[in-house]
Amino acid sequence: MGMSAGGGSGVKADPNVTPMIDVMLVLLIIFMITIPQINAGFTAVPPEGQNLKPHPEEDGDQVLGIDDQGQYYLNKKPIRNEDLEAAVREIYGVEGRDDYIMYVKAHKDLQYLKVINAMDVLSRGGVRVAALITEQAPGTESLVESDRIRPGGK
Amino acid sequence: MGMSAGGGGGGLNNEINVTPMIDVLLVLLVIFMIIVPMSRKAIDTQLPDPNPQPAQPNVAPDQIVLEITADGNFAINKEPVDKAQLFNRLKSIYDPRPEKIIFVKGDTMTTYANVVWAMDQARGAGVKVIGVAPK
Repeated sequence: MGMSAGGGSGVKADPNVTPMIDVMLVLLIIFMITIPQINAGFTAVPPEGQNLKPHPEEDGDQVLGIDDQGQYYLNKKPIRNEDLEAAVREIYGVEGRDDYIMYVKAHKDLQYLKVINAMDVLSRGGVRVAALITEQAPGTESLVESDRIRPGGK
Repeated sequence: MGMSAGGGGGGLNNEINVTPMIDVLLVLLVIFMIIVPMSRKAIDTQLPDPNPQPAQPNVAPDQIVLEITADGNFAINKEPVDKAQLFNRLKSIYDPRPEKIIFVKGDTMTTYANVVWAMDQARGAGVKVIGVAPK
């Protein structure tokens, strides 16, 4: 990008940053819109662990969130405690469903009572496996051989 | 910041070429969008049977129940185990055992993180199936 302009007395060498600013602002807005939607009002900090099984997200995953107040979120939408069982049964009670796994993303400092109550409701609603979402503790790797296979690389 | 090129310099173009930058940014965006869902990890647990049979005559007598007490201590089949020793104890139990099943029974007053920590240790010690004991 050398500016070896010969003559041209009035040639301005300022870079035209306007398109760059445009792009940056658009990216900023995109991130500002998408990040709250990813979290969607529900802020549970899952516990940390070491020996975890990778569960890449897929369409149709059902996620039960439990925030630090014990409020339930079914697929990121708040739901009242007494409505949860019916909602879960509606999802898992259908004929021919091929998985009975539900992801549970609960806040780490919750009383276990809240979590076991939720699991109780899930099991009555037809869930068989609860996958407790856990963060990999930084700098650790699972001791279980099969966990270390990269998702997608099987 | 117009292009008030005086005279001369007919083919002179002094704009920054932002196209490669946009390319790179979009690729980064796509990479992050793919990596974030991929990185989800979890511990699979079997939920208790919602309709427990009243009497189970053939209940396995040698099942392992890991308890987490209200104050965050651990016990394997009622025998207290030090937190630091839990992993080694589980490993010595499960290494020779063919069936890698554990039942985890957390006290209702303990924290969720404690229970997950115990399940995590159990998985590390070779347990394949984690059952959640009913309340």
